[in-house]
Amino acid sequence: MTSTDNLINIDSELCTGCRRCAEVCPVNAIEGEQGTPQIIDAERCVLCGQCVQICSVYASAFDENLTPREIKLKERRMLKSVREPLFAAYNVGHAQQVKEALAFSELYKIVQCAPAVRVSLAEEFGFPYGTLTPGKMAASLRRLGFDRVYDTNFGADLTIMEEGSELIKRVSEGKNLPMFTSCCPAWVKYVEQEYPELLHHLSSCKSPAQMSGVIFKTYGAKIDAIDPAKILSASIMPCTCKQFECDREEMADSGYKDVDVVLTTRELAQLIKERGIDFANLPDEEFDLPLGNYSGAGAIFGTSGGVMEAALRTGYELITKKPVPSIELNFVRGGEDIRTAVVQVGELELRVAVVSGLKNVAKVLEDVKAGRCQFHFIEVMTCPGGCINGGGQPKFLLPEYREEANRSRKASIYKHDSNLKIRKSHENPDIKKLYEEFLGEPLGHQSHHLLHTKYVSRKALN
Amino acid sequence: MRGTSNSFVVANTNKCIGCKVCEVVCFAVHNKNNQVVATVGTVVTPIIPRLYLVKGETLTMPIQCRHCEDAPCANSCIIGAIKQEDNTIVIDENACIGCKTCLLACPFGAIDLLPKFEDGEAVIQANLKEEGEYGLDDKVKTVAYKCDLCKEHGKPACVAVCPQKALTLVAPAEEKKRRNRQAALSLLAALK
Repeated sequence: MTSTDNLINIDSELCTGCRRCAEVCPVNAIEGEQGTPQIIDAERCVLCGQCVQICSVYASAFDENLTPREIKLKERRMLKSVREPLFAAYNVGHAQQVKEALAFSELYKIVQCAPAVRVSLAEEFGFPYGTLTPGKMAASLRRLGFDRVYDTNFGADLTIMEEGSELIKRVSEGKNLPMFTSCCPAWVKYVEQEYPELLHHLSSCKSPAQMSGVIFKTYGAKIDAIDPAKILSASIMPCTCKQFECDREEMADSGYKDVDVVLTTRELAQLIKERGIDFANLPDEEFDLPLGNYSGAGAIFGTSGGVMEAALRTGYELITKKPVPSIELNFVRGGEDIRTAVVQVGELELRVAVVSGLKNVAKVLEDVKAGRCQFHFIEVMTCPGGCINGGGQPKFLLPEYREEANRSRKASIYKHDSNLKIRKSHENPDIKKLYEEFLGEPLGHQSHHLLHTKYVSRKALN
Repeated sequence: MRGTSNSFVVANTNKCIGCKVCEVVCFAVHNKNNQVVATVGTVVTPIIPRLYLVKGETLTMPIQCRHCEDAPCANSCIIGAIKQEDNTIVIDENACIGCKTCLLACPFGAIDLLPKFEDGEAVIQANLKEEGEYGLDDKVKTVAYKCDLCKEHGKPACVAVCPQKALTLVAPAEEKKRRNRQAALSLLAALK
């Protein structure tokens, strides 16, 4: 059964029932007997796309019994120009939608890219794993026709301002602890489905992409003197769940849909190729200001431990009024299932944890339910290793390539951070300006209205 | 006269789960000349593997060339495009005329006749055209493909990549000696 409503599906014509997807699914949403086509339970699926990344059963171009490729491409909403092989597990795309919007000159097109995209996009053009190409990424987006190339990393800095302040508030009040990060939409969906009674532990902050989106259509519209109704807000994400996130009803605090459409890293590469843009030889270009300016802290969101490190760089200073003794906080840079640390922040012994891979979070949640959890702040990423290993990232032909690639992508992200002049979110001058001119202060009225959100219980009724 | 038999890769149907990673990796290592690098996004041609998953109700396993000692494909190739080189039976894809005799000769069905690609594009034949809807179309060159034990790449990629370790590279002489030893040992144990 291929439900077109779920963003991730398994093509029953291709699936051989090997169940390698079921092995990596963190929520056991894939059902079927070994050797027969598998089905995704849409109620359990968190849209992380790990199944899409691992599936190796492809549609042979020479099998005349198969549904023709053109029809499959249409079903998957892929561009007709795509030449890569089609696999059984796939995510429904939006490249066609973006392509049409790009041709519509009436729209003011704003785009943002996630931190993980710039260390992996080039792999689709044959570059070595983890090659850092923010300059070429921006250049290609302009040539595709976007009017403003802003950046999710700016949104990440904004998230740190809000979430750092929120954490301090909760710690000082001793309420709703531990606080969990909320930037991973698959993780949020998981809590909504399985542990709705713990939703109050999630940070009320929107994700960086959604924060950026709402700012584009308010502050962004103002400074460019554009009618926000004419803005197309697109995002390029390493994630197959971000479309689900932007489709959420409540993600419209600007008065419009804050992020209109999401493309994965792979889809962006396909669009660039279709347009005949010679990616390899593009000059490096800058992101547009002010909403494309980011700090190193924003850049490291793409890897597991990055959000935590970024939050500590700012949180430490907000609490102690002194700069953090060392910018690089190696003790949170992990990648193992759960990493814990105790950070001395002035008088406070801040206990933090970083969870990499959704499979590893259940025991933490059970601890929270039982009142045993000692942590103040916990970062959770559904995809093992963080967004660099997301469902929408360039997919590897060999399983062993993937491990090496993720190591390179991770190293590249930290290197990018270390080469930036500004490495703390609160030192980003355009963040400061945004608060001065528009938001007021973190957790203030305007921030609360635009940058924070509510969650909904999705628990299946038995 | 040479002593050693040709090695070959064989699958264990009890372990195979039908995931086709073997087919994908086979294609990947043989198509670096077709712009294939590491990601699916760099693949611009159809996947052409040299081993073929057979999936039935009770059986799942890939089938590939046995590098026969008296290779019927080599013996039947009219233009001598199939030869033994070192311990491998190899098809010279540039000499192949696509006559399909080898495909008929092979009892395993290990040979497939499929389009030839170079640099990401199908290789077009010099003069032979085919009738299309709107006149004469170019005809793509078709050649015979089969397992070559990853001759140019080192060890067989399929064996290394199988997540279930269902594929083995068999070196017949060694395997025979191993079984002789094992048989002798179990006889010895039985007699004690």
